[in-house]
Order: sequence, then structure tokens, then C-alpha cells
Amino acid sequence: MSERLHPLTVLLRGGSRGMSLALFGFFAGSFVGGAGMLADAVPFGVLSGGPLALIGFVVGFAYEVARYQRFEYELTADTLDIRSGVFARREREIPLRRVQNVDVTRDLLARVVGIATVQVETAGGGETEASFQYLGLDAARTLQDGIRQRKRQGTTAATEGEADAATTADAAVDRGPVERETLFELDESDLLLLSVLSFDVRALSILFVFGPMIGPAVVGYLDANGGVGTAALLLVAAVAVVGLGLLFWALGAVTTFVQYYGFRLTRVGDELRYERGLIQRYDGSIPLDKIQTVTVEENLLMRRFGYASLAVETAGYAPGASPSGGSEAAVPLATRDRVLALAGQIEPFELPQFERPPTRARRRYMVRYGLVVALVAAVAFTVDAYLVSYPWWVTLGLLVLAPLAARATWQNRGRALGEDHVFTRNGFWRRRTQLVPYYRVQTVIEKRSFFQRRWDLSTVVVDTAGSRSLLGDDASAVDVDADDAREFARGVTDRFQTALVSRRSGTSAESEGDSSAPTGGAD
Amino acid sequence: MERIHPRVRILWLLRGVFPSLFLGAVAIGVTAVLSSNPLGNISEALPVGGAVALLVFGLGVVHTLFRYRAFGYEVQDDALYIERGVLTKVNTVVPYVRVQHIDTQRNPFERVFGLGHVVVYTAGSRGADVSVPGLLPGQATDLQQRLRTLAGESEPDDAV
Repeated sequence: MSERLHPLTVLLRGGSRGMSLALFGFFAGSFVGGAGMLADAVPFGVLSGGPLALIGFVVGFAYEVARYQRFEYELTADTLDIRSGVFARREREIPLRRVQNVDVTRDLLARVVGIATVQVETAGGGETEASFQYLGLDAARTLQDGIRQRKRQGTTAATEGEADAATTADAAVDRGPVERETLFELDESDLLLLSVLSFDVRALSILFVFGPMIGPAVVGYLDANGGVGTAALLLVAAVAVVGLGLLFWALGAVTTFVQYYGFRLTRVGDELRYERGLIQRYDGSIPLDKIQTVTVEENLLMRRFGYASLAVETAGYAPGASPSGGSEAAVPLATRDRVLALAGQIEPFELPQFERPPTRARRRYMVRYGLVVALVAAVAFTVDAYLVSYPWWVTLGLLVLAPLAARATWQNRGRALGEDHVFTRNGFWRRRTQLVPYYRVQTVIEKRSFFQRRWDLSTVVVDTAGSRSLLGDDASAVDVDADDAREFARGVTDRFQTALVSRRSGTSAESEGDSSAPTGGAD
Repeated sequence: MERIHPRVRILWLLRGVFPSLFLGAVAIGVTAVLSSNPLGNISEALPVGGAVALLVFGLGVVHTLFRYRAFGYEVQDDALYIERGVLTKVNTVVPYVRVQHIDTQRNPFERVFGLGHVVVYTAGSRGADVSVPGLLPGQATDLQQRLRTLAGESEPDDAV
């Protein structure tokens, strides 16, 4: 039984495509009409703006009608088949056990009329593998649940009872027998707190970079216009800094609020489901057995107040292409203990003792930040020499911060080889603690840059198939002593091989595809 | 540690020719424009351009020599190991289980010099990074074959 998109698709997509083609037609027509000659050759002024716009609209609309009629999909026992395409036709078959994420997105209009966009992601390829725009909300949920159920059946190869229940659930989704457990809900006060805390402190650093350049210009302007006292000037500067900071903060807070309104994380059988969004509503599924890495993120403010956020990553998304903007946040904000407990539920682990880089790394950072200050001072000096004169050497005072910054960077770096996971930790403003199950390791890369070699340091990158790693967010142990790095890399590859063996013997003993198999007992 | 064919250095050197010519040309342009009489001073600018081109090419030669010396690979029991890099040294370990597919590639330049390279793909984000250049065609297919066998022996389990 193949199914169709929601009929409203024709109206919505047809309307928008028709309009865009009509606009194109209008401008093309006006242009050609203006040129005269060609227009004269064709009777009735067909080539002028108005008629061409009309033709454009009809063509665009007709295309969407055809697209709607050609688009068929079917959820079979172990594949999702899609036939589509107006001119170039495509038949696509997606093995369900390869499906990573299924996302249901509803923008405001879609919510009003009760339809949704569904996107199915697999690990291959750079873009979304199957996109359904639009399905009725029920059909969307049926698809989402159907994929989950069939996936389970396909892997457990018709185990007792469940199989029957799910076959009868073919037409109407049977949500009864599936275990549903709300893992986390973001209540209003937490949401407000999240909005307030999510401020990225790094935005403020812009002020420090541009301050020395813009500041003197303002001073010069004020000086030229009668001159103000130094105290008044400082006041103005301070107000400007605080004002800008508040602005950034408010913007960040509003965005976060809108994004995470009504956030809820549920566990449905062997999948995680998240829902969120004030205006645009997102509803995504993350299969537990597809999770590549788990990341605990705490920015400076969160750390100060004992909060953290949790992100899990699958191989499904192209960078930045996921509805959540590249990060599949599992828990946007909760107390640190809570986050760790939740992370443990998703991927059982024990937080190890982190090993820091050697202290000479700290000296390296000191040199680095010292050079940054020198650069800022040089810029300030140039401005002073050529534009407006002001006490540029004040910027050298930033040198005091270099050792502190170096210490902060050093302190927040760490690595550990746990029982089942490799752990890395990086970042001061936004500290990321990543854990990768050994079983998920793809390649291990050990690098030493020219500068690192002078300090006899190395970086070890643990590459996974996770999508965020495409952005360079791979779990990496930075600035490890070269010998330790070699050992660390070897440790990861050895444990990887062991994990592989134990997973194999595990999977043959238990039922294959058991969600808890990669970690050996999730609950 | 296995070495790659020395002839690959010629390929790498040739790759440096175009950038050095380009930068030389840029240098000529800049010198000419900066001088008081742009068109008349082309002849004066030529030596500058030549010097720049030579310098860049020279750097390319040094880089190539070091690059060749730094490159090595090893087909280990359960992983392919690659060592490379001049300024940044990189060691990569690719477990055979993670190999998705293996390509043997020969671009026109490589074909002129009778060489080819093997690219190993994994599901990881840096998959396409893993490539072994400077192999004789026979060697390349050999390596591909060997890796294929090894990857095949380890059960398909790509963890995605």
C-alpha cells in the first residue's frame, strides 16, 4: 500500500513555487518587453511582464501538482521505499536498520493546518535522505513510529509476541505496548534560566578586539567637539560596553527561549524522542543504538552555578543541516548531577579521573596569549601613531591576563581512558566533556604541529562517524606529552579491538541488534 | 614501515611549479605598479619576479624532500598505519573493520609517471583523508587487494 503526501502540499508548495516563477516571469518579461524588438515579433504582447508572470505561476503550480502526483512512499517490513520525481524519476529504497534520525518539523503555518515536514536521515551522503513535505500530522507520526517498530522487528527477527502486536499495528499506530518514559522536561523556570545562562561570553570578546580601534575614534570625535572630561569619557565607554553586552545577551536569551520552549525528552522503546520549539515545533527521534558520542557542555556561567547541558550525536546529519542546527541537544539545561545521571542512562559510564596536559603546555598557552596581547597592542599602537593619539600602552595591561588565561585553558583540558569509553575535555568559555564508546571509534589520529614539537607535545584525535566531528568537534586530547600521546592513541586502538571482540560475542549470545549491546546493559 | 616510490617527488615538485610561476607574476605586477613608471619598468620588475618564483619553487623542493622522507605506511595486523607531514606530523590508524571501500586512483599526471594512489574510506568524518600516494600501478592494486582482503576478513561492522 503506497501512500501520498498531504493534499494541502499542492496548495502550499504550488503557491510558493508559482509565486516565485511568476516573479521571475514578470521581471524577465519587463526586461524583454523593454528591449522592444523581440516583443514586437510575438503577438498580443505575450512577452511582457504581466502575461509572463501568469504563465510562470501556472507552470510553477502545475509542476507542484505533478510532483504531488508522482510522489509515493511505502513502508515495507524492512525498507522505506519512495518513488518521486517529475522529470528525473527516482526510486529510493532506504533499509530501515540504517535509519539514524527521523525528524518532524512544523512551522507556524503547518501547525495551524495540521501538517508537518518529515525528514529521514541515514549516515550516507551529505544531505537528508528522504524528505516529506508535507504529510498530515497523523501520517507523520505513523511514519516515525512505524520506522521505529519495524526497525526493532527487523533486528530481533520476529521474537515472540511483540511481532504480532506490531503487525497489527500496521494501519493504526499502536502506541500502547511500547514503553514510554519521560526522561526530562524543561519547566518554565528552567527555561528562563537556560535563556539567561546561554549567553555566550565570547561575544563580549568582540569588544576587547574592536574597543582599541573604535574607542580612540570616538574619543577623537568628542575631543574635536569641545572636549569632555576623561571621567565622562570612561563613563561613556563603560555604558557602551555594558549596553552592547546586554544587547547580545538579550538576543541570545530570546533565541534560546524560542528554540527550547516546551522541551521534553522521552524514551520510547529503544529511541530517544525530543520535542521543542515555541513557534516552529521540532520533534525528532534518536535511536539509542546509533549514538556515536555523548557530550556534556558547560559554559562559564553554567559551571559557576552547577548546571550543564547534554548533547548526543548520531551519524545522521550533514553539518548544520539538522533541525537543531547541527547539535542534537538531548538536554539543554539541568543541574550537573542530573545531566550526568541522564547521560548515564543513555550511555552507562563512570566519570573518570581526568589527566591534564603537562605543565609546560601552560607555558605554551602563556606564550600564545602573550602574542595575542602583543598583536592587540601593535594594532592599538598603529591607531595611536596614524589616527588619533591616546594611551595605547594601556592595552599592554592585558598581559596580566595571559597567565590567568593560560591557566584556565590548561585546567580545562583533560583526557582519560575509561572502562568502555575514551573521554576528552576541552574549553574554558564552553567546556566540552566528550565520551566516545570504544566501539564507535573510526580512526585514531595523532598529530604534532611545528609549534607543538618544540614543546614535545601531541594532539590525539578520536574520529567517529558522528556528524559534529565534521565541524572539527572531534573528541581530542590536546597537547599531551608526545610519549603519553602515543600511549593514549595505542590505548584507544587496543581497547577498540577488545570492545569489538566482546561486542561480537555479546551480540551472538543475546539477540542481535539489542540496543544495549554496544555498552553491555543499558539498564 | 613501507616507503613509497621516489618518483612521486617529481609529481610533488611539478605541483609546485604553477604556484611559483603565479606568485612570480604577482611579484612582477606589484613591483611594476609600485614603481613610478609602471609600463617602462617591466624589465626592472622581471628579476624580482624571477627571484620570487625561484624562492617559492625552492621552498617547494625542500618541502617535497621532507615530505617524501616523512611519508610511510604499514599494513599491520588489524589496522592500516600512515605517517606523514612536514610541519605538522600526522600518524593515522585506520582499523580494517572500519574500511568502507578502497579506491585506486590514477590522475593524468600520475599516469605519465607510471604511478597511482590508494584512497581508503571510512565512515568517519576524516575518511577521505587516508590516502597512500606514489605507488606503482601493480603496487596500488596489490595494496588495494590486501586491504580488501583484510577488511573483508574482519566482519562488516561499521558502527553507524
